[in-house]
Amino acid sequence: MGNKQTIFTDEQLDAYQDCTFFTRKEILRLHGRYHELAPHLVPMDYTNEPDVTIPLALIVSMPELNENPFRNRIVESFSEDGAGNLSFNDFVDMFSVLSETAPRELKAIYAFKIYDFNVDNFLCKEDLEKTLNKLTREELSPEEVTLVCEKAIEEADLDGDSKLSFADFENMITRAPDFLSTFHIRI
Amino acid sequence: MEDKECNSGGFMRLLSEESCSSTVTGESCVNYQTEIFNQLPSSLARRRTHHHHQDRGTIETSHPVEKHPELAGEARDRASTQPIRSLPVCMQRKREARDLRHLQTRTVGRWESWKRNQRINRKRLGEQVGEAMSRLLPWSSTLHTIEGRFGVGVKAYFVFLRYLVYLNLLLCLVIGGTILIPTVVYDSDADRGLLRFEGNDSVLDFFVGSGFLERSPVFYGFYARSSLDLLCLNTPLLFLLGTLTVLILSLVMVVRRTVVGYKHTWLLGNRYNIHMSYKVFCGWDFCIQDPEVADLKLSFIRNELKLYLEEERFQQREARRTLGQWARLYFLRGLLHFLVLVLLGGAFCLIYHATKASQAERSGDYLILTVLFQYLPPIVITLVNFFLPHVFRHISSFEDYSITTQVNATLVRSIFLKLASLGMYLFFLFQNSQQDCWENQFGKEMYKLAVFDFLACFCNTFFIAYPRKWLVDRYPSSWLARLSGKQHFLIPFNVLDLVYSQTVTWVGLFYCPMLPFIETVKLMAIFYIKKLTVLQCCVPAQRMFRASSSSVLFHFMLLLGLIMAVITLGSNLHKFEPSSSCGPFVGSATVFNVTAVCVDSLPGPAQSTLRYLSSEAFVLPVILAQIVVLTSFESRRRANGKAIERLKDMLVMSTSDKHFLLKQHTLSLRRQKKTFKAPTTVSGTREGSPTTMKDPSAGIGEDSHIAQLKDPSAQPTGDDIKIDRGL
Repeated sequence: MGNKQTIFTDEQLDAYQDCTFFTRKEILRLHGRYHELAPHLVPMDYTNEPDVTIPLALIVSMPELNENPFRNRIVESFSEDGAGNLSFNDFVDMFSVLSETAPRELKAIYAFKIYDFNVDNFLCKEDLEKTLNKLTREELSPEEVTLVCEKAIEEADLDGDSKLSFADFENMITRAPDFLSTFHIRI
Repeated sequence: MEDKECNSGGFMRLLSEESCSSTVTGESCVNYQTEIFNQLPSSLARRRTHHHHQDRGTIETSHPVEKHPELAGEARDRASTQPIRSLPVCMQRKREARDLRHLQTRTVGRWESWKRNQRINRKRLGEQVGEAMSRLLPWSSTLHTIEGRFGVGVKAYFVFLRYLVYLNLLLCLVIGGTILIPTVVYDSDADRGLLRFEGNDSVLDFFVGSGFLERSPVFYGFYARSSLDLLCLNTPLLFLLGTLTVLILSLVMVVRRTVVGYKHTWLLGNRYNIHMSYKVFCGWDFCIQDPEVADLKLSFIRNELKLYLEEERFQQREARRTLGQWARLYFLRGLLHFLVLVLLGGAFCLIYHATKASQAERSGDYLILTVLFQYLPPIVITLVNFFLPHVFRHISSFEDYSITTQVNATLVRSIFLKLASLGMYLFFLFQNSQQDCWENQFGKEMYKLAVFDFLACFCNTFFIAYPRKWLVDRYPSSWLARLSGKQHFLIPFNVLDLVYSQTVTWVGLFYCPMLPFIETVKLMAIFYIKKLTVLQCCVPAQRMFRASSSSVLFHFMLLLGLIMAVITLGSNLHKFEPSSSCGPFVGSATVFNVTAVCVDSLPGPAQSTLRYLSSEAFVLPVILAQIVVLTSFESRRRANGKAIERLKDMLVMSTSDKHFLLKQHTLSLRRQKKTFKAPTTVSGTREGSPTTMKDPSAGIGEDSHIAQLKDPSAQPTGDDIKIDRGL
């Protein structure tokens, strides 16, 4: 099946293929991208599963993430330690969830995590305000931000606790027509 | 729920987390809630239908799970039926789950992965082919650039323009097939070529339509009864049929486009108006990599939000108006409406006088002056249509409507102006149409309108837009530059121009059969001219109006133009006799003589059927039946609307019921746990930590169960789960 590669064992590649939405070739390509982010840190030989993480600052400098207002939150959501340091497993996981073939439910779960800035499993008003400020680069005045956030919560909140639980969020996002087309990164 | 930590005699009880906490916090409630959430029939049904769409090339099967009885109930369901790659856990856990499943089933390995690769490759190939085909559509790269720099509204104008080009190409095909080709092929008069140049032809004939153009197939007078002269297949009949086909085809296409737009924007958009939450959560396109595109996207999001805020503020302001303010406002609006009517009346008078002046006989003038006087009506109409819409725009800013209503009001007035001025002009034309070969005369007038419209667009770009840009760039502080400001591409007015030119084509179609060809060439030239204007001279608009309701208006206006053309043509064909010296209908009393002759030649039953179909005895019952059907549709629509409202209410109510019941269930669970709990041997890691950032499943309960899979010492959890199930 092509030339013999020595980065991963066959069994590792199989495991990656089962656990993500990528094919073998794409996983090898992803490893190339991961390696070129920090060539001195990342070994070319992953057969014995080295414990290497790349810091947040390097990951968000990737062209795919560089212009995204939520890049820090995305990387933090997929990192094991919550501070944004991604191992290769986390890296592959992140792009797998954000790929085109990932199902809507999975994306909704991670979208909820990304927008949950204070990580309390609810999207409260402060989370929405931070989301909106990042989205508009803080060009709206505070009253305008409050108005928009209140309207957004009012539209999606079903149980009336003025914050969005995951059920509210998922209910709203499944009715959004372009969630799947906007929430994906092509790599 | 008091603390039970007791520190007597040197032994300390091991306590679990929950017993130390004294309130039912939202977090732990959520844990319990989402556990049972996943057991609900609706969640299971959704997951089952979801798996049908999943990739089936992987190993998971609904393998009998009796081998692993210690698996928790619903973890059993999920772990064995959901594809591993869809589990919302970190990679390590996924590999552990995979290893576990490997114990259960044998791996299928290479074959499955090859199949999956092929499926993915096929899908990617399909996408690439689709992308390549859409790139084949003409001008798609230009449209992409324009959308990137100016947004969806301006792109919509160019898409509309392209659609009109397609429409006119279709009309060209039909006319070419039914009118042009039979005439050329079956030409009875052998020495009558397509183009004959005679003595006093000149270039100006091109603008006025006389001379060599008059003798060419452009105008009605060229066509005659040719050698194709069967009873039911002759050139005049084909001419008539061609025109009718063209009009019916246009009607079908425009109505379809109008209806589709109406359905999308009005019916769905206003009712299920969940804009804000979509804009906040789905607003950003994660694929953007280019900083410029990112800036533009940000400005669009900001503009949409500002638009919403402005509408909100307007509504609040409107709600706070006192009675006195309302009275003043209505008085002002009445005054402004009157002003608009006065302006319209003045415009029509001007057109009348211009028509009269151009039709007065002049002789002995210079050639240029003659041409100018012949062009006077189109010039006046175009000037009026150029200035008055801007006046209307300024007037509507005083009327204190919301922005969208302002734009739509201006649009309605402008389209009324354009179509009515055209209608007036046609009416005045027909008042003195008793010349010889009046059809050619009429065709020439339409031709002049079309040509002058194109000239006006050309002059507007090169003599107004570019100088203005040059002025603003070179002398930005001069008073003229500050007065004119930066140029924006005013979408409504440009679309109105397109609608106007298409209406002229439809009206003049019968008398100038080559108008669709001319129109196609003209539209393509306009595309490039406008593209130059937009890309070189204009800046993106800072404020935007809600364009969706306006786009429905645009298509509706196109329909109005078509209806006006049909009415004009129909009244002409009925009122006036075909002239006796030119055209294919020479000698007949009316144009429909040819059809009557054809019908007469058909066999008896066909004749009587046709006569019956066109008699009142058939038409009236059909109309009555249509009215009945329409009434039934309308009442069904109203009933559906009420049902939708009721269902929406029911949905909200049942969701809050569900949440309430879940909270109650959680509370009773916790109470049960506290009564059943043994004081020792409870591992503190039972629930996982709800605030682990890595695993979203902490909120969903998956992680806790997989942790249990890993932790064989967690015996009490098994008991607890059994208790859960016992509940």
